[in-house]
Amino acid sequence: MKRASRLGTLEKSVVQDKNFLYTIISYSVALAIFINLNSFQSPLFGLAASLIYFVINAVFLGNAFFEKEKAFFRAMFGILLLIMLLGFVSWLALIIYNLDATRATFVLMVVATLTSLLNRRMKQKNDLK
Amino acid sequence: MTLSKQEFPQRLRICEILYLFMVAFSFYLLFMSRTGEARTVWEVLHPFFIPSLFVTTFLLLSILSTAEKIPYKLLFVISHSILIHSFFSIIFPAGDSSGQQMVLGRIRLVFDNAVLHGWAPWPMSLPSQVYEWFRGITFQAALSVVFARMLSVDLLWVHLSLVPVLWGAFIPIAAFLTTKALHGNANVAILSSLLISAFPSATYFGAISVSNSLGFIFFFYSLYFMLKNLHSNDSKNRILMLAFSFFSLLSHHLTGIMSLSLLLLVLTFKSYRSERKPSPITAKVTMLISFVFCSSLLPLSFIYLRFFSPATYTVPNTIFTLDKFYELPAEEIVGLFLIGELTYGFDLRTILLFIIGPAIALLWTICHLYNLKRNRNAEFSTYIFLLAAFLIALLDYRILKLFMDDLPISEERLWVFQDFLAVPFVALAIYGVISSIKAFLKAKSPPPISIASLKRFSDCSKAVSKVVVLRVVSLLFTGLLLTLNVLFPLLLASWVTTSLGAAYPQVAPLQTTWYELEAVKYIEENTTEKYVVIGDVWTTFAGEVIVGVNNPRAYYFLEFNRTGYDLFVNMKENPSPQWMLLAMNKTGTDTTVAYFIVSEPRIGTEEYNRIIQQAQQNGVQTYPGGIFYHRGEEKLRIFYYKKSIN
Repeated sequence: MKRASRLGTLEKSVVQDKNFLYTIISYSVALAIFINLNSFQSPLFGLAASLIYFVINAVFLGNAFFEKEKAFFRAMFGILLLIMLLGFVSWLALIIYNLDATRATFVLMVVATLTSLLNRRMKQKNDLK
Repeated sequence: MTLSKQEFPQRLRICEILYLFMVAFSFYLLFMSRTGEARTVWEVLHPFFIPSLFVTTFLLLSILSTAEKIPYKLLFVISHSILIHSFFSIIFPAGDSSGQQMVLGRIRLVFDNAVLHGWAPWPMSLPSQVYEWFRGITFQAALSVVFARMLSVDLLWVHLSLVPVLWGAFIPIAAFLTTKALHGNANVAILSSLLISAFPSATYFGAISVSNSLGFIFFFYSLYFMLKNLHSNDSKNRILMLAFSFFSLLSHHLTGIMSLSLLLLVLTFKSYRSERKPSPITAKVTMLISFVFCSSLLPLSFIYLRFFSPATYTVPNTIFTLDKFYELPAEEIVGLFLIGELTYGFDLRTILLFIIGPAIALLWTICHLYNLKRNRNAEFSTYIFLLAAFLIALLDYRILKLFMDDLPISEERLWVFQDFLAVPFVALAIYGVISSIKAFLKAKSPPPISIASLKRFSDCSKAVSKVVVLRVVSLLFTGLLLTLNVLFPLLLASWVTTSLGAAYPQVAPLQTTWYELEAVKYIEENTTEKYVVIGDVWTTFAGEVIVGVNNPRAYYFLEFNRTGYDLFVNMKENPSPQWMLLAMNKTGTDTTVAYFIVSEPRIGTEEYNRIIQQAQQNGVQTYPGGIFYHRGEEKLRIFYYKKSIN
């Protein structure tokens, strides 16, 4: 029960995104992925960074579209929507130019911005209801 | 016999821990089965794997029948689902030798930054360019490459695990949600999330990383949001329904067109409800016309596809035809109509495994709708919609199979739609049967008689015999109920496990071997100049895994390229530098080295030895370190020729 409530608190804190804290963390993680890709090339570091990126942005998206669903479904839908958004923005980058390390990082930044904006906009809408 | 409140979770936790252990053990056995040279997974699968999977599935079914929380149950189903979709990725070094290696060959170009200035890399007209953008491979390339960059791992690992993991994680949830939207019972829904693994076509597509598989995932979610949209006007549902349909189109045109068909069907159903009362006949006729139109969208799309395909492709000349009715005997036509491709040389067990799910779904739906007819409510229209969608999938398969020729894809891909649409009905049917039998047994069972009450009657001899009989009957019914609780999970576990025999091919050509992959890697690591490789289609597949196709730096001809094929045949018949020089000129770049790869298992020992001998006579040298052995026998040899630059 304690673990569940701790996860709930974390989710709430991410959704609140006070002073854009989690959005900035998302950007930092994207930057860290870029540095890792160009220098260390460590899959372990990549996995850890990707996990943080996924958790933050999936929570944003999950709450934006599935606020009324149970936590598990909210998380799963959030992940699925994030995968779709990542795929879509990467697809745009690919058909326009290419998807090298720099553009892949740019894609991560764009997705982080979009999810953060969506989270804020939908939160405002949901609060009004 | 009832368990105390404390005892129940304790036993459940033990069961869950045992289940998790069995999943881990099954994964371990799968890794133990990993091999570098095999045709099918069945050749090398560890003998304990299938029994272990059976026990795992049985334990899972037992957990699913308890009062455990739904998210936990779904997590257990997801772990099971990932396990049974990972056979190819774990056992073979480069996955299944099918479309997925061809897809990887193209994605590799994006990953290695060989494609600049936008996709597609070759010049073409605007409609063809748009066609290329919306081909599933472009979306899959984008997704795989961005994941590989995020994780900082080689593209091969992301590519091999992309679909098994996404399918394993999201398809059970989609099945759960769709069934819940249909019926509302969480127990039925959770059963359907596992039962989708009992459908061989769905399992196969969940095991190979092709864009069509990604499309199926998005299609299933679009179907769920369509069902939700049927009874609500929530804008979020509408947006999500359209978003998932768009992504199913972006992933593959087959799934996209199918989503579009069902979207139109949803709109018709909604307008039918509003028009039914003022003009019932018009509403019914519109509904019928719409159904016919939705069914014809997919077959028509194949005809019009050629207008968008680039001229450089050899586009199939898809046509509507009655040729099959003239050419084939009547019994074959009937066979094709009823069971499709299964008519040709499949054993009875395989046929049963493929058709049992859809057959149960169809029969049960018809019976259930007949009962629901008297009480038309929201559930009724959801059933009708899902049945209509199921019929569209059944109908389209028969149109494609019997009335069309030269299709760009195999018609059997439509079976996956049938499976998705059938699984909620199958779960409902099974749950209905189990509940009915249990209710019957409970109703007929005499009230339980305790030992204490037996003692009270001990003075009266007549009463004693009656009570003893009642107690025996009561025990018999309890025993029957317990047997049922064990029997059904056993039967379902057998079904899921056996269906894998039909999902994963029993016969296949030799998969890409470790020595073919090593040969390609060896060339790549030891060549600084631009090079071209002449080889058979299997060499090309191996090349696709490591460097991609048509890579200007490391050139492998496309799988079914005529020039590449002719060069290989010429080299095989008469290995000489002349063909290697010609290959260098065909790359379109300043290629200076050519390699020729021959593999003994692909061409036979006699031919292999002849080629080696003749190559030596003709002055084609073996590449230093370019001989590969497997279990002490020579299996592969690389020859090379370097252009002398004056």
